[in-house]
Amino acid sequence: MNKSKSWGLSLVVALLVAACGGSDPYVPGSGSPSGAPTTKGSFTAVVSFGDSLSDLGTYTPATVIPGTNPPVYMGGKFTTNSATSTIWVENLTTSLGLVITPAAMGFAGQSVACPIAAQVPSLANTCTGYGQGGSRVTDPNGIGHSTGALTVPVVTQIANHLARFVSFKSTDLIFVLAGNNDVFVQFATFAATAAQVQADAAAGKLTADQANTALFNAQTVALAGMKQAAQELGGYVINQILAKGGKYVTVMMLPDFALTPFGQSLPASAQPVATALSQNFNLWLRDTLTNQPVQLIDTLVFFDSIAADPSHYGITNMTTPACDAAKISVITGGAVTDGSSLFCNSTPGVPYNGLATGASATTWFWADGVHPTTIGHKIFSDAVISQLKSFGWI
Amino acid sequence: MTSRLQTIAVAIAAMLAAGAASAQENAVKFGVVEYTTHAETSGITGVGVPPGADATVGNATTVVFTYERLLTPNIGAEIALGIPPTIKANAAGTVAFLGSDVLSAKVVAPAFFLNYHFGAIGDTWRPYLGIGFNYTRFMSIESTLAPSVQMSDSWGWAAQGGISYAINDKWSLFGSIAALQVKSNLVASGATVLQTSINFRPITYTIGAAYSF
Repeated sequence: MNKSKSWGLSLVVALLVAACGGSDPYVPGSGSPSGAPTTKGSFTAVVSFGDSLSDLGTYTPATVIPGTNPPVYMGGKFTTNSATSTIWVENLTTSLGLVITPAAMGFAGQSVACPIAAQVPSLANTCTGYGQGGSRVTDPNGIGHSTGALTVPVVTQIANHLARFVSFKSTDLIFVLAGNNDVFVQFATFAATAAQVQADAAAGKLTADQANTALFNAQTVALAGMKQAAQELGGYVINQILAKGGKYVTVMMLPDFALTPFGQSLPASAQPVATALSQNFNLWLRDTLTNQPVQLIDTLVFFDSIAADPSHYGITNMTTPACDAAKISVITGGAVTDGSSLFCNSTPGVPYNGLATGASATTWFWADGVHPTTIGHKIFSDAVISQLKSFGWI
Repeated sequence: MTSRLQTIAVAIAAMLAAGAASAQENAVKFGVVEYTTHAETSGITGVGVPPGADATVGNATTVVFTYERLLTPNIGAEIALGIPPTIKANAAGTVAFLGSDVLSAKVVAPAFFLNYHFGAIGDTWRPYLGIGFNYTRFMSIESTLAPSVQMSDSWGWAAQGGISYAINDKWSLFGSIAALQVKSNLVASGATVLQTSINFRPITYTIGAAYSF
């Protein structure tokens, strides 16, 4: 009996050890950045990389109203354009008492670097707004490139900054907001495959299971594309910004593209794919930037919170684009038929006003299918400013 | 991990050292085991995975070896180790269209039991009941859905009931049924990250022969 008693003890000890359980596998994307500054910055410049959401007017020359001299431009930014309409990057920069201007302006092969330098030489160092409509993370062939958009990718935007300023400064406040156009490209590829699969299924060439598997595989390919874009962007932040002197670096995660009017116009079956592409980009961006000294801003949470309670933000319409595609088509002589806010002017009374009847740049959130109005940008910049305060940076 | 293996090693050493060897205090057994699972999962979650995605886990057959040392005429300490069988999982629920064998893994699952043998040494039929614990490690994990899959190790209780039939004073036949607690968290990483946690709830059915010495 003594023996069995000691065995009983051994068993108890072993079970206690067992109770600790096996260690769980690492879950990619479950970490966080760490080590970003916690002190106020003495900012002398805002440096912004990205796409149309951060575009300060790259394509303004393309929006000239024919026959005007001096030229009058109907648009230039992806919002409800007017003489006083500003986007989030400008709002934020102004709030810091600084100035930011486009790093380049042009269209259809023409591009002028730092155009403000020729007009106001004292502002030559303010052209640090690199965002361009259509730009992707790495691929220079962005959305609209074939029809004239410059779409300089983020990797080249950063290289251009380094070519001009050699390195980043500890007094630069740096923003990276990119990946949306990679979502659109991946989604378009998926949608084309999905249409073919559905046609084949309808024609009896594929069984339901084969069709579902083909759709799942097409989604996986698109998700892999987003993973690659996120890892590349994260790599540029680490190797081309942080390693080159960047100190105050904010990287934005993407909003849910299914919540935009364009996303909402998609078939219900496709909307989860749209959401997944944004989410997957965010997952791998977070994973790549885990333990890196940056701050992440989750714009997905931000847009979700506005969508959930628009009136709290003074928004009366969260679903309909304020710009009228038919009006813009007439104004541009049929050249622009998709209602792009790049050509949308909100100045009351002018003949080139592109707002829909009853629409407002100050109470409607969306200018077009994917870009915010002037008030939409203001709400976004307010949120970013509040985040910067919570970081202790301003 | 290491400390747990050490615990097992110490237990085995203690087992071997316990008492002077006398007739029929030791038994080695070998047999065929059917490893049947009754798995429940938390569902498969991840970016782009539709709600209701799930998986079912299949069964496996392998060969098991055990060593038992009688501590008293009625109480034995038993350690069991099988040749790791491969279990496979099929897609289920809203992703059932992905088909079978979406995941496979080799299951290394040693178990330790403290058995109570009814009757007395020399009886032809001796039923027994045992309780203990099992450790399960999943190896050679492969999935058609992701290039990298990891599963956590599992520690849990184990219980068995069996009966032995003595052919002579050395050889006997036995049959047993065991229930094990085996849970693992799975993370599959590819284009995106899939997660699930699986409660395998295995029942094993074993028949074999034993040699006592």
